[in-house]
Amino acid sequence: MSQLGRDDMLRAYRQMATIRAFEERLHDEIKTGEIAGFTHLYAGQEAAAVGVCEHLADDDYIVSTHRGHGHCIAKGCDVKAMMKEIYGRADGLCKGKGGSMHIADVSIGMLGANGIVGAGAPLAVGAAISAKLDGKGKVSVAFSGDGACNQGTTFEAMNLAVVLQVPAIFVFENNHYSEHTGVEYSVGTANDIASRAEAFGMKAWRANGCDFFSTFEAMREVLEHVRSGGGPAAIELDTERFYGHFEGDPQRYRGPGELDRIREQRDCLKAFRERVGEYGNVTSDELDAVDSEVAQLIEEAVSEAKSAPPPPPEQVLEDVYVSY
Amino acid sequence: MPLKAFTMPKWGIEMSEGTLAEWMTEEGAPFARGQVIALIETDKITNEVEAEADGKLVRILARAGETLPVGALLAVFGGDQPAAEVDAFVAAFRPADARMAASDTEDMIADAAAETAIPSEPEPEAFDDRISISPAARARATEARVDVAAMAGSGRGGRIMLQDVEQALRPAAEPRLNGPFAPVPETTAFASPVARRLALRHGIDLASLSGTGPRGRICKEDVLAAAGSVAPSDGAVEVVAMTPMRKAIARRLTEAKQQIPHFYLRRHVRADRLLAAREKAGKLASINDYLLRAVAIALREVPAVNIQVHGAAIHRMPSADIAIAVATDKGLLTPVLRAAETLSLQEIAAASAELAARARSSKLKQEDIQGGSFSVSNLGPFGVEQFDAIINPPQGAILAVGAARPEPIDDHGAVRIVPVLHLSLSCDHRAIDGADGARFLAALAKLIEEPERL
Amino acid sequence: MVVMSIREAINRTIAEEMERDADVIALGEDIVGGMGTAGGPEAIGGIWGATGGLYARFGPGRVIDTPISESAIVGAAAGAALAGKRPIAELMFADFVGVSLDQLWNQMAKFRYMFGGKTRCPAVIRLIYGAGMNAAAQHSQSVYAMMTAIPGLKIALPATPADAKGLLTEAIRGDDPVLFFEHKAMFGVKGEVPEGEHRVPFGHARLTREGGDVTIVTCGRMVGFSEKAADKLAEDGIGCDVIDLRTTSPLDEEAILDSVELTGRLVVVDESPPRCSLAADIAALVAAKAFTALKAPPQMVTAPHTPIPFARELERAWLPSPAKIEAAARAALAFRS
Repeated sequence: MSQLGRDDMLRAYRQMATIRAFEERLHDEIKTGEIAGFTHLYAGQEAAAVGVCEHLADDDYIVSTHRGHGHCIAKGCDVKAMMKEIYGRADGLCKGKGGSMHIADVSIGMLGANGIVGAGAPLAVGAAISAKLDGKGKVSVAFSGDGACNQGTTFEAMNLAVVLQVPAIFVFENNHYSEHTGVEYSVGTANDIASRAEAFGMKAWRANGCDFFSTFEAMREVLEHVRSGGGPAAIELDTERFYGHFEGDPQRYRGPGELDRIREQRDCLKAFRERVGEYGNVTSDELDAVDSEVAQLIEEAVSEAKSAPPPPPEQVLEDVYVSY
Repeated sequence: MPLKAFTMPKWGIEMSEGTLAEWMTEEGAPFARGQVIALIETDKITNEVEAEADGKLVRILARAGETLPVGALLAVFGGDQPAAEVDAFVAAFRPADARMAASDTEDMIADAAAETAIPSEPEPEAFDDRISISPAARARATEARVDVAAMAGSGRGGRIMLQDVEQALRPAAEPRLNGPFAPVPETTAFASPVARRLALRHGIDLASLSGTGPRGRICKEDVLAAAGSVAPSDGAVEVVAMTPMRKAIARRLTEAKQQIPHFYLRRHVRADRLLAAREKAGKLASINDYLLRAVAIALREVPAVNIQVHGAAIHRMPSADIAIAVATDKGLLTPVLRAAETLSLQEIAAASAELAARARSSKLKQEDIQGGSFSVSNLGPFGVEQFDAIINPPQGAILAVGAARPEPIDDHGAVRIVPVLHLSLSCDHRAIDGADGARFLAALAKLIEEPERL
Repeated sequence: MVVMSIREAINRTIAEEMERDADVIALGEDIVGGMGTAGGPEAIGGIWGATGGLYARFGPGRVIDTPISESAIVGAAAGAALAGKRPIAELMFADFVGVSLDQLWNQMAKFRYMFGGKTRCPAVIRLIYGAGMNAAAQHSQSVYAMMTAIPGLKIALPATPADAKGLLTEAIRGDDPVLFFEHKAMFGVKGEVPEGEHRVPFGHARLTREGGDVTIVTCGRMVGFSEKAADKLAEDGIGCDVIDLRTTSPLDEEAILDSVELTGRLVVVDESPPRCSLAADIAALVAAKAFTALKAPPQMVTAPHTPIPFARELERAWLPSPAKIEAAARAALAFRS
């Protein structure tokens, strides 16, 4: 049984469904060529972002990766403003200045998606230093992948977090690919990232990143540990990305039938439906209703983004400094 | 002051020697910065030589009235050094510029000889290919006969650059020094360094200014604006900034006066028949229109004056596009009367009136003032009898016309009083010779004095 | 006015600002020293002595010794700044900027812009730089030119104790990321510092000698060298404006150009190799905007295009010197126009 109430469950589903619909729609829209730059889609990993962020409040911090749309939505960023940002519009979440890879809303603790692999971990430790000084039990979460777990910055950040005993949580989403290379090749401790964190001196958990309840329950323990001053912690979430590293990636590294298989067997939305079916407190119809509301939201977000004005040229020179 | 050589200065490229006309102080006397130490004469000027810093005239070597080459030691400046040290300094002195001064003179003599002698083709010196030198520097050095063998180039690895060759051709720098300034005291006002210095100089209180510089800082312009608006107590001076148009006029005419070798040909012409003809035609055209027509025809007859000068090229213009000077309250404008040689007197009258009207009402377009091969400036209506005008580059000449005045002239042996116009033709001597100018004036004079052809 | 050294000025400023604002924190390697040892804190108070006494006053929560992890140190400063603190992080040698460059260059400098102006990153990174103490190639570089080129960062280099206090106070209280360069050979330099609050605005250069014949533009340790050269030249009646830039970003363009418009001669002195240096940047500015005022080409006095050598004689030959600056000024005066 889950300790989650009905409303919480519906909320979690809504978050995951929103992410899925957002990313699937982007996958189609990107093919038209209207969206500029690089986009990295999160579809498939929704349970990880939502399973973590459902435990967080606006004054907890997260730092994301280049694959940041899911974390952004899960942390509570405005979906329509996000879509406008990805379309590079004047009233996008970052005024069209950041785009998909730098999407952020610092006012609700989302300290940015980041185009540099591994750069988020030290930033999250910094936010954790600040959180510790504030003494209110706030935490700071660094999302990383199996790629970032090899960067020097990740190791430095983990060590610093342990040395300073700050409330930092290192979430490693192991989706088995860092760009075009498999985790069994690139991670020396093959498919075991959590023990790296343990080796640095923090407690580490492991959970199924394609199952909301598995992730959520494990994170409950993590947050109890961290919020109560137990020092930093890590969690490795085994998950899948349904799309390529970037949109346009031919994905020649996939095995035959792999994409179909993971869509069939590791779809966190399907898994959620089965689970709540077992728990019996949320019906399938209610979930369908959420699906159509979400579809409506995404439809509006896209059409509004398409017709929104681009930023004026003067924007190039603004917002470099507070004052110069 | 440490011992310093006072040598015969080089004023201008052609100076090779000078005369120490008079010492204005005595050997052993101290002098202050700015004090006149000596008078030096060359064949063009006599100049006062001022001290550039405080010091003492420890030794005089040149006698008053003595003529010496550029670079020769005239005296020694210093402080309280013992006489033996001064002797040693004098003995060790080697004139720096002597070689270049000498070679300049030789070149001048050679050039003069070349003008009269049959030019012979000297063998071009084989250029030493081992010398590292840029193509442009090599060309310039060859053309100017500069010996680069011992030159230290400023390019990479000692490569000789065009700048090095150009430097070698110029006289040594004799900068006029402004010297150190007393440091400006600290102030709490947020002002730029130069603004603080200027404020002190102009006696302006920085606290009274608001800054328009970056971050609200008081800048040079703020101080100068305040200085400009401060009236001295013995009468108000109104400072008027030049408008862009006046600045442009100032710049162009300054360039013209500096760069064009003007010469002036003056001629007076009888205007009695012209005035009579005009009277007879009902005064429909102005005197100036008659003159424009005459100028147009004369330019066709003497095309050597209908030119533009562009650098080393002379452009012979296909038609007489005459610029008419129009005085407006914003300044002098010169709209162009195109192809004047194809226009009749009436057409000229109509066109010039229209251009003048548009000029005065600021309705001229860019194409109205472009080009022009010749200008006519008539100050007769203002009572001016004669004057010389400044050429408008790139034109080659300009005609200045004064008012017609009754003057006595020789009319076949008898003295008669007739209206006489004084013409002055300014010519660019780079492109127009005296003979051409004279022929033009003669043609013009004939047209004016026998106005049937106009 | 109180007389103190640059080291003392920095130390006092950090302490005063930490006293004044609880959000100011300090972090770096051995800024306390002795953590996790038998001897205990404070073993050194920073290897340059600039952070002595802070631990005792403000405790380990706000005065944080770190492991040797420059990326993590600078990144943590950036993250803490995003999360509402005003961190002062120390890079023990400016040369280590290489180890932490991504966090400065791609993160801290760009957050405000990438996030649409909706955040600020008020972090100060103190970097100890400069040659003259035989610390050799990897511990003597100037670095500030590369950092000046990065939009989003501000760069300050004090040459006096008063400016050390004024510029550091301004850096800490300002809301933009600042790289604060301290010359390792100048910590002992003494001078008068105003009492009470003292702030020096950025982009506001200081004239330390005034004269009408040559403009010498410089910063950091080269200011003192330039003053010596200017004083020597003054003996021959040659007057120099010596401009201490104080900050290279923002740059006090007006001070430079106003002076060159009067003197017509520029000498830039830069304790760095010449390519893409501060000297080249200032020379280009002057050539572009004061071309008609120039009576001679801009003179750039820099180190050569080499790493910094170890032996005393070699390092001395590598560095600019008052004699080299004086020679450059005389060369400008001797230019034949």
